[in-house]
This record gives sequence, C-alpha cells and structure tokens, in this order.
Amino acid sequence: MTTNLAYALPARAPREVQEHPLHVEIVSTRSQRRARPRLVYALVAVAGLFLILVTQLLLSILLSNGAYQISGLQGTHKELSRDQQTLTESLQVLESPQNLAGRAQQLGMVPNSGSQGWLRLSDGKVLHDPAAAPSGSVLGTDSSTLIPNSLITPGVMAKGAPAGTGTSGSAGSGAAGTDASGSDASGFGASGGAAGAPAGGSGKPAVPSTSGALPSPVTH
Amino acid sequence: MKYPRRSRRRLALAIVMAFAIVAVFSIKLIDIQIVRADALNKDSQTTRATSVVTYAPRGQILDTNGIVLADSVTRFDITVSPRLIKPTFDVVDSNDKKKTITVQAAAAEIANITKQDPASILQAITDNPSSDFAIVTKAVDTAAMRKVRDLHIPWVYFQNHPVRTYPDGSVAGNLIGFVGTDGPQNGIETIENKCLASTNGSSTYERGADGVQIPGSTITTKEARPGGAVTLTVDQDLQWFAQQAIAEQATAIGAQSATAIVVRVKDAALLALADWPSVDPNDVNATAVDHPDQLGSKAFTDYYEPGSTMKALTAATLIDTGKATPTDPVTVPSAWTSPEGHTIHDATGHPVEHLTLTGVLQQSSNVGISQFGVRVPQKTRFDYLTKFGLGQKTAVDFQGESSRGITSLPWNDVSKYDISYGQGIAVSAVQLASAYQALANGGVKLPLKLVQSCTAADGTVSDIPSNVGTRVVSEQTSKTVVNMLESVVTGGELSKTLTIPGYRVAAKSGTAEVAENGRYTGNRIVSVVGIAPAEDPQYIVLVTYTKPAIMKSSAAAAPTFHKIMSEVLTKYRVTPSTTPSTNPSTNW
Repeated sequence: MTTNLAYALPARAPREVQEHPLHVEIVSTRSQRRARPRLVYALVAVAGLFLILVTQLLLSILLSNGAYQISGLQGTHKELSRDQQTLTESLQVLESPQNLAGRAQQLGMVPNSGSQGWLRLSDGKVLHDPAAAPSGSVLGTDSSTLIPNSLITPGVMAKGAPAGTGTSGSAGSGAAGTDASGSDASGFGASGGAAGAPAGGSGKPAVPSTSGALPSPVTH
Repeated sequence: MKYPRRSRRRLALAIVMAFAIVAVFSIKLIDIQIVRADALNKDSQTTRATSVVTYAPRGQILDTNGIVLADSVTRFDITVSPRLIKPTFDVVDSNDKKKTITVQAAAAEIANITKQDPASILQAITDNPSSDFAIVTKAVDTAAMRKVRDLHIPWVYFQNHPVRTYPDGSVAGNLIGFVGTDGPQNGIETIENKCLASTNGSSTYERGADGVQIPGSTITTKEARPGGAVTLTVDQDLQWFAQQAIAEQATAIGAQSATAIVVRVKDAALLALADWPSVDPNDVNATAVDHPDQLGSKAFTDYYEPGSTMKALTAATLIDTGKATPTDPVTVPSAWTSPEGHTIHDATGHPVEHLTLTGVLQQSSNVGISQFGVRVPQKTRFDYLTKFGLGQKTAVDFQGESSRGITSLPWNDVSKYDISYGQGIAVSAVQLASAYQALANGGVKLPLKLVQSCTAADGTVSDIPSNVGTRVVSEQTSKTVVNMLESVVTGGELSKTLTIPGYRVAAKSGTAEVAENGRYTGNRIVSVVGIAPAEDPQYIVLVTYTKPAIMKSSAAAAPTFHKIMSEVLTKYRVTPSTTPSTNPSTNW
C-alpha cells in the first residue's frame, strides 16, 4: 500500500562500521605451495650439518687418543726391542765355542784327541784301533783358555754350572787372574781330572745283539 | 625495494658495524699471519718440532753358515745438561712419598749402578756449569740405563751409542779385525767397510706440550740405511778347532807363532785360516800394547823361506815341462857339490841312495831335487812359480799382503839350486796354500776366496768373488804329482803320524832355515802341507810353526796336520777312499 503519510521505516540494528574490509585470506595457490621449501628439509640439512661437525669433533678426539696409544705402544716396542737385543747378545756369547767347551768340561767331557776309528756295520767290527781320549782340557798350562774370549766373564761361566761341580767358573777364573788384561779371562775350572773314558776295545760286544738287527760294535 | 627511512638508517648502521668488526679481525689477522709470522713460527717450531736421528746398525760379519762373528749392539752414553742442574730435586718414590735428592746423592746413585767413582761423576757434572752437554759415562748397557732412568733424575739424558761386539772372542779375530773410535782399523772390518757401513737417517715430527707425537706429522728427511752383512767362507767351528790345535802344539814346542790354513780345492775357499796368537777384537789393548804384530794375520803378512814344501812345485814344473818323470833315477849322497862349487846338504846324513824323483820327494832330499831342478831353464821355473801365484798378492788381497816378488832373475849359482828346495825365495803361507790348490785342482788355479758375499739390508747380494781359473800345469801333471806325494804318507819319515785310516792322503813336510842378518840361523820354520783324498783332492791343510824352541823338525807339525785333516774329512763327510794308496817306485 502506498500512502503519502511519512512513516518510519522499520529500524534496523545499527550496522557495525566495518572497519576491516571483508576478511580476505590470501592463500597460496597450489603451485606456490608446492614451490615453497618444506621445513623438514631445512631441519634435516641443519641437523646433518651439526652431525658432520660433531662427527668431525669425535674423530679428531679419537685420533688424538690414538696418538697417545701409538706413543705408548711405540715406547713398549722400543723397550721390547731392547730386551730382544740384550738377550740375543747374551745368546751369541753363550753359543761361542769357548763357552761350549767350558761347559762341556764342567760336565766332565774331554776334548777328542784326534784318534779315529771306523765301525763296519756289516759285522760290527771296529777298525783301526781308536783310542779313548785321555784326560785333557782346552785350557793352557796357566788354566786360561788358549783362544781367549773376553766376553766370557766368570759370571757367564758360573751361570748354569751343573749342580755339584765343585769347581765352577769362579774358582777357575780366580786362577786365571786379572780381568784387566782380558786375555786371560774365563778360567773354567776343569772339573778335576776328567773322568777318562775306560780303555776301549774289549774282545766281546758289551751290548748283546738282537738277532736280525745290526750287530753290536765290539767296543764299550 | 623501497625501505622507509628509519629502517634504511638501521641497515646502514648494521653494515657499518659489521665492517668495523671485520676490520678489527682483519688487522689482528694480518698482524699475526704476516707481520709477526716468522717470529711466531720459529717459537712454535722449536717447542713443537723435534728432529730425531734414526740409528742404523753396522752390518754383521757372518761365517759361511750364518753364525755371527761380529755384531753391533745398543749401548747408551749417560749425559747430563749441567745448565739445568739445581742443587736438589724432588722425586716421588714407589710409596708415593716425596723425597728431596741432592746432586751429590744422585751422582752417588749413578756411580753405584755404573761402577764408577762418584767423584769423577761429580767432576764431569760440575766441570762446565753453563754448558748444555756433558758425558758422564760412556757405553752402558740397557740394564744399567734402565736403572739410571728409574732414578728419575731430571737433568740426565741418554744418547744412543752403538758398540761393536765379537761374541766368539779371538776365534777368527785375525781375520775379522776390529773397530776403533774413528772407525774400522783392521781386517775384514776395514776391507769390507763399504758393505758394512751404515748411514743414520733423520726425521722430524711435531709433538704436543706433553711430548706425544702429533699424528701425521712425521717427515722423514733422510732414510736410515743399515749396513750390509758380510758372509765369509770361513767355518767358525773349524776355525776354532784349528786355532785350538795350533795353540796347544805351539805352546808345547815353544813356537813364536803358528798358522793353519784349510782350503777347499774345488773353489779355493778358505775354510779356516788360523793364526796363533790371535787378537781378541773385544779386547784389542791386551794385544796391541805388547804385541802389535799380532793384531793382523801373519798367514797373509809374514814372508818366509818355505823350505821343502816347495819341492812339490819344483817336481810339478819338471813333469809338466817333460824334463823328468816320476821314476827318473838320480844318485843322492847326503852332501853334494854342484859344478859351480856350491855344496848342498840333506837334512840328515845318510849313505848314498838311489832315488827316483818320487823317492826324492818322499825322503825330502835337497841334493836330489837340486840335481833335478836345474834341468829346467831358470826363466821357465820363474814363469811356473809366477803361474802358481808366488810373488803376487793372493786374490783375497788382505791387509798387509805384499806383492813381494820372486827372487829376480838371473838366479845366482847358489839360488838356482836352493830355490828348488825352498830356500832363497820368500813366500807367505797363503801363497803356498794357493799354489797347492792349483796343484790339487787338476792344475787349474782358482782365485783364493775369503769373502763369500755381501748382503745389503734390502737383500741385494754383491761382492761375489770371481771363480775364473787359470791353468798352471796339465791335469796329468797334477794327478802325477799328487800321486807322488802319497809316498810321503805311505813310506816317508812321518808316515805313521800322517796316515789317516780310511783315506788316501798326499803330503809334504818342510823344515826351513830362517835367515837373519844375511846368515842362516839355528831357527826353523816347520810346516806340513797335505791334500786329501789323493784320488780326488777336496781339501788342503797347511800347518806352519815359526821358530819352535824344541822339536825343530816338521815332526812338530805332523800331528797337528793329522788332527786338522781328520777333523776336516769327518766334518765334511768325505767318502773314504776305496783303493789303497799307490805311488810310483821310490828307489831304483
């Protein structure tokens, strides 16, 4: 209905002045979203970097630790080498003919007089009358070795002298005297008159033969 | 982009500050890296880098089986740094208690270990207080060094000081020689020094403050090169045996000196070369002070008139030139006057004998060999003696060998007879052994060998001696002469002593007069030389005694020859002879 009367229009609630415009969200497009680097990668990269740095640190710590180990082992190696050298040196002296002859004499052995014989295996006969070595010694009349070795000191000879030999190296060397000159070093006491081997060549075999085996030699 | 004005200012400020900090750092960096670089580097190097001498040992001398005859061992010099010595120092002992030790007490402790006089140690320490280096003790062994080290004396240091040792003493001492403070002085040590010598190396490494080596920082500036090992042809056991044998007999007969030589015929290798008395290289002064002539090897250096051992060479010359045969007859009185008026005597008086050339050798008749000897022209005899190696150094070229010539031509009326029985001509024992090697080896003389090889540290083998032979006499002559010499063993004067059961042995004895001041004296040089087995010669043994006081005939040398030759035949497992000894007839 239309009238010419003025009438108030129905009141409307006062409109809030919209100070912000319509809420517009700018969202990235799908392509923009795809293009953006993901956080995860960044985290991984940084973490990786840290990991590398830490590993490097650890390695260098281990290396330095290893250096101390090496140093220690080298020291041990050096000391062991020195031990080996000292022992080799002693061994070489103990292997020398003078020492061996001296020890043999301490055991009661006598040097071979050069008498030779032959043992014929077919019948066990001893040919050419070998003579038993008489009591002898490799020492000269002044009881010092004829072929001197100044490395063989009384200490070397006394070490390991068989128990019960009354005259060990020390006694002999007393006779030989002066260490200073060295040429008379090492008297090894000839332990008494050597136990001379009994005279050889008895007529019958000392050891009975077993039949079928090699015949026993005709000697002691 | 356009920034608002405020943020532009902030940005500018930030940049300026950043630059300022960078500038400060750069200046500091330039200062350290460039301006003060050298000084700082030097400081750090001296505290960080250490140079180290790497020692290389001198090479060993070995016998033919590898047994060590000479070796280098570690010893240490105890040195101090007097500059750093304070009157007392503290040490923590095993119970964790701290002790204060004075210098005198420390010196006494060191003296206790090294068996020195404490006063001399104090003297060495206090002699020059501002120096950095003083030697307290030389060449202590490892055990003593460790004991001194355990004392924890702060101003004591150790220096490596290798020392030469000879474990077998005077066995082969005449050959090996010895080393003095300046270097090798004698024998193989000198002759083979090029092989034996070592060169020390050096390297630097960097170490941290606690002395531990910084890994990866070692720079070797020079490689250490250890010396090579010299292998001799000598057998240590045989050498000892020979030395012992001649020593025993020489002392028994009162000889001034003695030699024994063992040669392997097939390659002229010296298996043993014994001299008595022989120097002990560990204790050179024991010999050097009173007997400097005994420091070397008289077998090489002493020249003497050989006497009857020369007769075999004369016989070889005669047979090779065809001027005589083994059964050629000759009438031999015990004294004979030559056409030129020179009278020659046999060693012992005897009635007139009818001897063949073989008989002359068996009886060792001077008269007989003189009559035979002049059948060959002098020049030919001279040439044969030269071919046998007399008058020249042997191939060994040992120290002291002289190329003293054969009596020069023309030989006078006395010499032309005397030389046939070994007087009037001078030889050395090795020359004679080498000549007999030629005789025994089918007439082919091989170069005498003492050094077998030199093995360098890296394994390369060098110095192998030549084996090229020269023919002296024909093979037939060699066989004939050796056969003739068998008669000396089967029927001669010394037959009983020289016979070795199971083997055919050929030998020749010699009793030579010694000439002094132009006159022959009552002194003698007695020798026996022998070859075994005679049917296939393998070994030669020559034994010589110089100026024995008693027993002045070759009967003194015969037992030693028997002993050594028996040992050689047994040791090397020589097959016994299968045929009995034969020889051409000795009488007619």
